[in-house]
Amino acid sequence: MAAMAAALRGLGGRFRWRMPAVAGGVRGAAQGAVAAQLGRKVAVVDYVEPSPRGTRWGLGGTCVNVGCIPKKLMHQAALLGGLIRDAPHYGWEVAQPVPHDWRKMAEAVQNHVKSLNWGHRVQLHDRKVKYFNVKAGFVDKHTVRGVAKGGKEILLSADHIVIATGGRPRYPAHIEGALEYGITSDDIFWLKESPGKTLVVGASYVALECAGFLTGIGLDVTVMMRSIPLRGFDQQMSSLVTEHMASHGTRFLRGCTPSQVRRLLDGQLQVTWEDHTTGKEGTGTFNTVLWAVGRVPDTRSLNLEKAGVDTSPNTQKILVDSREATSVPHIYAIGDVVEGRPELTPTAVMAGRLLAQRLFGGSSDLMDYDKVPTTVFTPLEYGCVGLSEEEAVARHGQEHVEVYHAHYKPLEFTVPGRDASQCYVKMVCLREPPQPVLGLHFLGPNAGEVTQGFALGIKCGASYVQVMQTVGIHPTCSEEVVKLRISKRSGLDPTVTGCG
Amino acid sequence: MAQRLLLRRFLASVVSRKFSQGWGPPLTSQALQTPRGLTVTPNPARTIYTTRISLTTFNIQDGPDFQDRVVNSETPVVVDFHAQWCGPCKILGPRLEKMVAKQHGKVVMAKVDIDDNTDLAIEYEVSAVPTVLAMKNGDVVDKFVGIKDEDQLEAFLKKLIG
Repeated sequence: MAAMAAALRGLGGRFRWRMPAVAGGVRGAAQGAVAAQLGRKVAVVDYVEPSPRGTRWGLGGTCVNVGCIPKKLMHQAALLGGLIRDAPHYGWEVAQPVPHDWRKMAEAVQNHVKSLNWGHRVQLHDRKVKYFNVKAGFVDKHTVRGVAKGGKEILLSADHIVIATGGRPRYPAHIEGALEYGITSDDIFWLKESPGKTLVVGASYVALECAGFLTGIGLDVTVMMRSIPLRGFDQQMSSLVTEHMASHGTRFLRGCTPSQVRRLLDGQLQVTWEDHTTGKEGTGTFNTVLWAVGRVPDTRSLNLEKAGVDTSPNTQKILVDSREATSVPHIYAIGDVVEGRPELTPTAVMAGRLLAQRLFGGSSDLMDYDKVPTTVFTPLEYGCVGLSEEEAVARHGQEHVEVYHAHYKPLEFTVPGRDASQCYVKMVCLREPPQPVLGLHFLGPNAGEVTQGFALGIKCGASYVQVMQTVGIHPTCSEEVVKLRISKRSGLDPTVTGCG
Repeated sequence: MAQRLLLRRFLASVVSRKFSQGWGPPLTSQALQTPRGLTVTPNPARTIYTTRISLTTFNIQDGPDFQDRVVNSETPVVVDFHAQWCGPCKILGPRLEKMVAKQHGKVVMAKVDIDDNTDLAIEYEVSAVPTVLAMKNGDVVDKFVGIKDEDQLEAFLKKLIG
C-alpha cells in the first residue's frame, strides 16, 4: 500500500517487482496468480484501449469481456428460441411467435461479465498480486512504464516479464466507411440496442458464431465471405456448418468483398460489394455492419523494440520458443499475441500456469499444443480435436488414412421434426492397426460437451479399436462416436438407422 | 478534530432528538457547516418518513467520505456493499433500507458501490455481493453475504444496536 501511495503522490514511484505480467488477460491473471502463490512478488498491468466505437471493458481480457463468455450466453439465448419453437410439440402450450428483447438479454449478459471482472479483481487481491490499470510499454528490457489517470507515471522494473496482451479485431481500413460505420466483436456484446438487420463480413468462427446467434434471436442476418468458411478447420465440416446456417435463416453472399459503406439519411448503412463470381456489383441496406475479418496482435503501444523483443514480420505477433521465451531470455509471451499458437483461452491459461511452475516451481514441463480440442458455437455446434481430414491426408497420404463417419439424428429432433441433415460425425484414423485416432469431428447439439471427453482419450493415444471397445451411453448423440463402423473408403451409406 | 467530534455529536443529537421526542422545541435555525461543506439545516416542516430515509441512508462517495461517515460515526452503521450488475443487491438494498428506517435513527446505513469504490471494497474484503457489514466505533462487528428476509435483517440490526 505504501508503495502504491508513493506513486500516486510523486512523479515517478519506482517499484522493484519480481515479475510483472503485462496485461491481465485471462492468461496474464492466471499466470500472475500462480507465480504469486509460489511466493513471488507479482504485478499485473492491464489496460483496455476503447474500440473505435468507444466500447471499453474491465479486467479479464477478451474471453471474459468480448469473447467466449458473452458469445456463449448469446448463443444460449438463440438456442432457447429454437427450444421454445419445439416446445408445443412436447405438449407445452406456448403461444408463438415469442418475441425477443435484445435489451434484456444484453443487460443480463453484461451484468454477468461485470461480475466476472470483479471476481478477477478479488482474485488478484487474494493472491497478493498488485494490479495497475494503466497503459504500459517497455522502457528497456527490464523496465515497463505506464501512465495512470491524472498523468502520474508508474515505473515497474522486474526480473521476469510476461506479455499477454492478446489481440483486437482488424478493421478493413482500405474499405471506405469501414472504420466510421462498422462495428466489431468488441462492440456487439455491449450494444444497448438491438443491431437490427446485420451484415456480418467474414468467414471466421467469430463471423459465423455472431451471425448464428443474431439469426437465432430473430434478426435479419447476411454473411458476406470472400472465399471459404472457417479457414484452417476441416472443410467438409465447415461446409456442413454453413449449410445448416443457410437452411435456418442466415443469408450467405459467397465470393463477395465489400468496397464501400455509406450512411444514408435515415441512418441505415448502404454497403456496396463486388461479386467475384459474376463480376457484378451489389448493394444492400443494413442497420449494422459487423467486421469479423481477423484479429491483430495488441503490440503497437508496447514499444517492443526498446526491449529487443522480436516479432513476426508478417503478423507482428511475438516470436517465442517452446518455453514461451521471446528473443530476450527473461521476457516471455503467452496467448493470442504469440506467433503460431492457437488463439484459445484454455491453451493460454495452461501455458501461463506451466510457465510460472517452470520459473519458480522447479518444474520442467513444457506446454503441449498437440491435440487441443475446440468447439465452434454456431447454431449447430462443431467440436473437433486433432487433425482435419485434409491435414491427415497431407501428412500420411490417402492410402494410410481411414475415415469412419456417420450421419445421425438426435432423438430430441424427432418429435418436433427438426432437420438433422447436417448432424454428422467422423473419425480420422491411421489405417495400420491398431488405427490410432488422428482427429475427431462432431457436428451436432452440445458439441463442446461431447468433444471434451473424447479429447482425453485421443490425448492418451486412443486407437479405433479402443474406441469401438467403449460402450456407448444411450440415448445420446455422443454414443454415435463409439458406434462408427462405416468408412468413407467402403462407399457405404453412412446414415444411422434405429438403435443398431 | 475536537471540533469535528463536537459537530458530529450535535448532528447525532439532532437526529435522535427528532425521532425519540417527536417534534420537540424548534432547533436552532443556524445552518451547520460540516467538514465536507454540506449544509445541514434542521427542518421540522418536512414529512417524517422521507426525512428518515434520507438521514438514515446515504451513498458513500469515496474513501475519505467512508472514513468520515462510517468509521468515525458515533451511531452504529450498516454498510451495504453492492454493484449495478448484481441482481440480488437490488432486492436486498431497499429491504435493508426499510428495516434500518424502522430503527428510529439508532443505526444508519451507508451504501457503497464496489465499482466506484473498488479500493474500499477490497480493503474490507468484499468478494461476493451483496455484502453487509455491521460497524460500531470503526470496527466490523458483524457481517453477512447474500439476501436475508426482513426478520433476519431485524435480528441483525437489533444485535448491532445492542
